[in-house]
Amino acid sequence: MRSKREISVAEPNRHSTASKVALYIILAASSVPFLYPTLWMFFSSFKPANEIFIQPPTLLPQNWTIDGFAQIFTAQPFVQQYGNSIYIAVVVTSASILLSAMAGYAFARIEFPGRNALFVLMLAALMVPTEVTIIPIFTAVSALGLNDTHWPLIILPTLGPTSVVSVFIFRQHFLSFPKEYEEAARLDGLGRVGIFLRVAMPLAKPAIAAVGIMAFLRSFNMYFEALIFLHTPEKFTLGLAITRYQDIYGEPMWATQLGAASLTVVPILVVFLFAQRQFVQGMAQVGLKG
Amino acid sequence: MRASRTKVAALTLTGLIAASLTACAGGTAPSGPVELTMALWSSNEGHLALLQQIGDAFVAEHPDEVSSISFEPVTNPDYIAGLTTQVAGGNVPDLAWIPESSALEFVNEGILHDVKSTLESTSGYDLNDILPAAIGGWEGDDGAIYAYPFSNSPFGLYVNNDLLAKAGQSDIASIVGTDAYTWQTVADLGAAVHTAVGAEGLTVPQFTPTNWSALTMLGTSWGAEPWSADGKTCELNSPEMVEYLKWYQDQVARGAMPEVTGSIASPAFAGGNVTFAVAQLSTSGALDDSLDWTFLPLPAGPAGYAPIIGQAGVSVLERSANPQQASDFLAYLTNPENAALLAQFFPPPRESLLNVETLQKAAPKLSAEEIQSVIIDVVPDATVKAANPVLSQFTDKVRAGLDPIWTGGDVTEAVTATCESISPIIEG
Amino acid sequence: MAFVAPQVLGVVALGLVPFAFVIWYSLNEWRPLTGAFNFIGLDNYTQLFSDPTFYASLSASLLFGAALLVFNLSIAMVLAVLLNQRLRGTSAFRTIIFSPVVVSVVAWSIVWSFLLAPNGGINGFLAMIGIDGPNWLGEPGTALISVVAVQVFKGVGMNMVLFLAALQGVPAEMKEAAQLDGANPWRSFWSITVPMIAPTILLTCILTTIGSLEVFAPVQLLTGGGPGNATNVLPYFLFRTAFVSQQFGYASAIGVVLFAIILGLTLLQWFSRRRWVHDEV
Repeated sequence: MRSKREISVAEPNRHSTASKVALYIILAASSVPFLYPTLWMFFSSFKPANEIFIQPPTLLPQNWTIDGFAQIFTAQPFVQQYGNSIYIAVVVTSASILLSAMAGYAFARIEFPGRNALFVLMLAALMVPTEVTIIPIFTAVSALGLNDTHWPLIILPTLGPTSVVSVFIFRQHFLSFPKEYEEAARLDGLGRVGIFLRVAMPLAKPAIAAVGIMAFLRSFNMYFEALIFLHTPEKFTLGLAITRYQDIYGEPMWATQLGAASLTVVPILVVFLFAQRQFVQGMAQVGLKG
Repeated sequence: MRASRTKVAALTLTGLIAASLTACAGGTAPSGPVELTMALWSSNEGHLALLQQIGDAFVAEHPDEVSSISFEPVTNPDYIAGLTTQVAGGNVPDLAWIPESSALEFVNEGILHDVKSTLESTSGYDLNDILPAAIGGWEGDDGAIYAYPFSNSPFGLYVNNDLLAKAGQSDIASIVGTDAYTWQTVADLGAAVHTAVGAEGLTVPQFTPTNWSALTMLGTSWGAEPWSADGKTCELNSPEMVEYLKWYQDQVARGAMPEVTGSIASPAFAGGNVTFAVAQLSTSGALDDSLDWTFLPLPAGPAGYAPIIGQAGVSVLERSANPQQASDFLAYLTNPENAALLAQFFPPPRESLLNVETLQKAAPKLSAEEIQSVIIDVVPDATVKAANPVLSQFTDKVRAGLDPIWTGGDVTEAVTATCESISPIIEG
Repeated sequence: MAFVAPQVLGVVALGLVPFAFVIWYSLNEWRPLTGAFNFIGLDNYTQLFSDPTFYASLSASLLFGAALLVFNLSIAMVLAVLLNQRLRGTSAFRTIIFSPVVVSVVAWSIVWSFLLAPNGGINGFLAMIGIDGPNWLGEPGTALISVVAVQVFKGVGMNMVLFLAALQGVPAEMKEAAQLDGANPWRSFWSITVPMIAPTILLTCILTTIGSLEVFAPVQLLTGGGPGNATNVLPYFLFRTAFVSQQFGYASAIGVVLFAIILGLTLLQWFSRRRWVHDEV
């Protein structure tokens, strides 16, 4: 059953051919600054070093070479780093969904003392800039012996200030949830946990999709935290790894860097292409109340 | 839920307690063998393997003092930032590589441990073998020694002969050592190549607006220094520096040198599109036979020939928990035998090692003449980039002040404003 | 209560507690490499408020934030409206426009540093149509707007999706009714659509403002804060103060001031909502 606001209504198609063509032209032109850099990044990974700097700059390589691309895997344990990024992102995403859904549900549906004050506190935490707080966090992480492990990279995005946005999304979603379901479930004898797991969550798919994608992206592209906490190349995540392609003299290997960056982007784009609708729906509830 | 709530609380509490304990912990010198760590910026496997080999040999000889030595590259591309973060977080290495730009500052602030007595008392160390010009920047006023300058790499001029030939220009190596070998000549050739075939003329690869000293350092051959010898008076507005910077602007305007902006790197010499590059011998490692290149000493400016050298030192940190053991290892690492091993990668400061056979290993792609003229003849007299005891406090202000110059702004205005903004800081 | 505990405790422990430490650091002079840590009270703040670089950095941040907000939101809205038409292929365009959101900010900045170079892709393209492009990142007049553009293209896709979702929640009947009353699309957009999606606009406004004041990586990779202090936004100034000048106390003071600014602007936007957001808040 869908609430009224879940109906996706795009404008019905009543445009003349001329305006349709105009629309396509505008869209195509607007897409260029979004697409060209990614394309340039991709094709440059197949260029020999001197072509990347060539005047005037080109998109397609004149001399295709696989050398730069091949070095992605030889210069660093890229496959392992890819795996690191993925498993960390998966853990962060699942933990994030669960924990922020729990908190969002509580803020929306459970009356408890100080609820509003706590929520405002959480929102305030969202505004704390990371560059400063990283030092006390780093001190604590070092003291716990968790330096150069993946733990800070998992705990920070899941439990840290950036997760407040996820809590917010779930709260908004649960606020617009008809109360009748819960009352019916309570009559059926379900406790709070049961209601949450069996009634609320299954109907929260759009919010889950939205939070899931955002959490996954944030974790997958993490750079600053990885820079501070990780030291061994085998432990690196992708955001950090792609900046580390340097030859033994410290000169950047441009084609390789750009190729590695391309490889990190493509799978996510494919996922997004297919999961778009759920993502958009999930975002639909975001602005509604409170 | 209850379990995870308790876990999180416990973790947080532990973290806070541990953090405060670490901050409060003094250091009672541990008895028994200690573990030493050295921070460095290189992740080169060859470097690390050699260092580990020397480290293990030291441990074998002193098992009661040191149980292990580990070498930990700082992965942050900004070495000082990474080292500072590490130390701020409570992880203080015993030894560290120090870039020369930080040398004077670190010596002044007491960050480095004085190792002179250890070096003098180590038998066979031969302190006098170390060139005074090399170690000068690492000594205190009272004769203390704060680092061993393990790498002394002169700046030279890489020349792409293929491009010169393509543009129909003469071979430049023939005028080296004569009065005709000047920056002006080089710039003229660069402009000619740029006009003829579009390649870059003369580049200074390390130069970006943030790293402005890579350009101002070449002003020494115009007689220009950024500040007085004691570092307390700003001399960026001196007539010599103004003349040099105007010369730079002229070269950019005519295409002899490329425009430099932001944090963008200039094209690498190895790419084959650059006629002249001011760089050190490490750049030769990326070169191969596909390019006909030579490595020459720097040209002379209006005030003559001013060779410049880039240095790196290895020190014991004053905050180390084990300064004596670390100093002992430093003495071992840099004694004549091991210094010869290090020379495979880094041009040494020891006179006894400044010969072609030793240096050939550090620069396999250079010919014997190149090694002689660019390295051996240069190291004893070369000066390092001007250092200042409070450089890190004003380097960004200089960047902001000099920025207009790189895009053709008024030089005199810019350097005057820069001196105004940094004078309060350097006067101390 | 237990539901909310892990998340709340986490945010407090990882966001607010470290910030409390930061406030403490800002009252001290802390030079990590020398180990000096001395209490100096509010000296860092007095020094900060008389530091010309701080004011330059502040104005760079505010200009940057304002420009980013205006361009990001308006472009996102225009694109959302365009893509709300039921035409074939809009999902492909949606993906293209969203794709930079997914690219790592480091990779995106590096690519743009090549494109914005004096003889880079953009100027090469302009040369083809006879325009002599400026030194985008080197001229004070164009540097800031270039970094804004790079950040806008990176992030506008996310806001576009938010607006798109909100637009699709506007009942078609209302727009049709307005049309029957003779209102043209422009009028109906402003009088009907915008008020209905006002809560979403407010939210994106707040999130974009917060994000714009914390931008760091593009500045580091494109301009290094220059030319002059044109792009020396507060997070970058903070970073250089902490890690280059090694003044952790002073940098912490900058951090506290930055937080105060973000908080102030957010509260401003939040409390002004009664003026133009009519949904129950």
